[in-house]
Amino acid sequence: MAIDGALIAGLQAQVGVEHVELLGEISAELIGRYAAAVGESNPLYSDAAYARSRGYADVVAPPNLLAAVINWGPGAPYDRLRDDGTEAEKHLPGVPSHGVRVMGGGEEMTFTRPVVAGAVVTRSTVLAEVGERSGTQGPMLVLRYSDHYRDGAGAVLMESVRTVLLR
Amino acid sequence: MSASEHERAPVDVGSTLAAMSQATSKVQVFRYSAATWNTHRIHYDKDYAVAEGYPDVLVQSHLHGALLARYCTDWAGEEGRLISLGLRVRRFALAGETLNVVAVISAVALAGERARVTLDLTETRGSDGEVCVTASASVEIPAGRLAGDAGGGPA
Repeated sequence: MAIDGALIAGLQAQVGVEHVELLGEISAELIGRYAAAVGESNPLYSDAAYARSRGYADVVAPPNLLAAVINWGPGAPYDRLRDDGTEAEKHLPGVPSHGVRVMGGGEEMTFTRPVVAGAVVTRSTVLAEVGERSGTQGPMLVLRYSDHYRDGAGAVLMESVRTVLLR
Repeated sequence: MSASEHERAPVDVGSTLAAMSQATSKVQVFRYSAATWNTHRIHYDKDYAVAEGYPDVLVQSHLHGALLARYCTDWAGEEGRLISLGLRVRRFALAGETLNVVAVISAVALAGERARVTLDLTETRGSDGEVCVTASASVEIPAGRLAGDAGGGPA
């Protein structure tokens, strides 16, 4: 599929449609592994006693953990993976799984509340905007997705606006 | 620079904060992919990366973001908080590259006992100085840090 009228119409039909996904519980193990992978030494992310001394119920996730996890489920069977090793995109509503090149164009994250181990997190994703741009290698679409991550009580933990380029 | 050294540095518009240098590695990039369940071959399969036009496997865009977030939270210290971070990856970094992060204070707004500081961040490749990421962050710190004990150097 190329950048054509049908693709643009399909994307525009998705604008404003909310997609809600239960991501699950943010475990201390996930937080610890993420912090270790980044090279963090902040005990807030790994030492529950220290975190409690700072007023938190348990260890706290580094700021961009929620945005960084690519797949919150077990993963697809091997015969359903694409050539690049990824699954058909679930987090880009409206974007076809084949035929277009997807590139990241930046992300704006707002950290509203700390993400403490044990939080059960839900993500809502909305395609907010579809723009067209002519690039050096032909037409390009500029998509903006708005994500809200909420805890079990519905309080927003983090907001993210992702810019995604399609070519 | 340690958090305590950060907390002694002046907080003035135009000030350049101390730089942070982070050597990445293929092990780190693998662990980051594992922790985030990122199965994209561009991060672990050199043959695939070469076929895509890169010399070797790449640092994940979110790992760039994590390093910038760490820079901000280290600077904010225990009493500070990262409010927002917006970033744009402009050039790739190979796993194994050393990444250097530095920030300039572009705005300071006082709100009671807290201050909101805007940092303009740049992450460059150690190998050639090319800019990988530009970013802007909003960080909240105790207003007392503005007054500055500013001239203090490392303990």
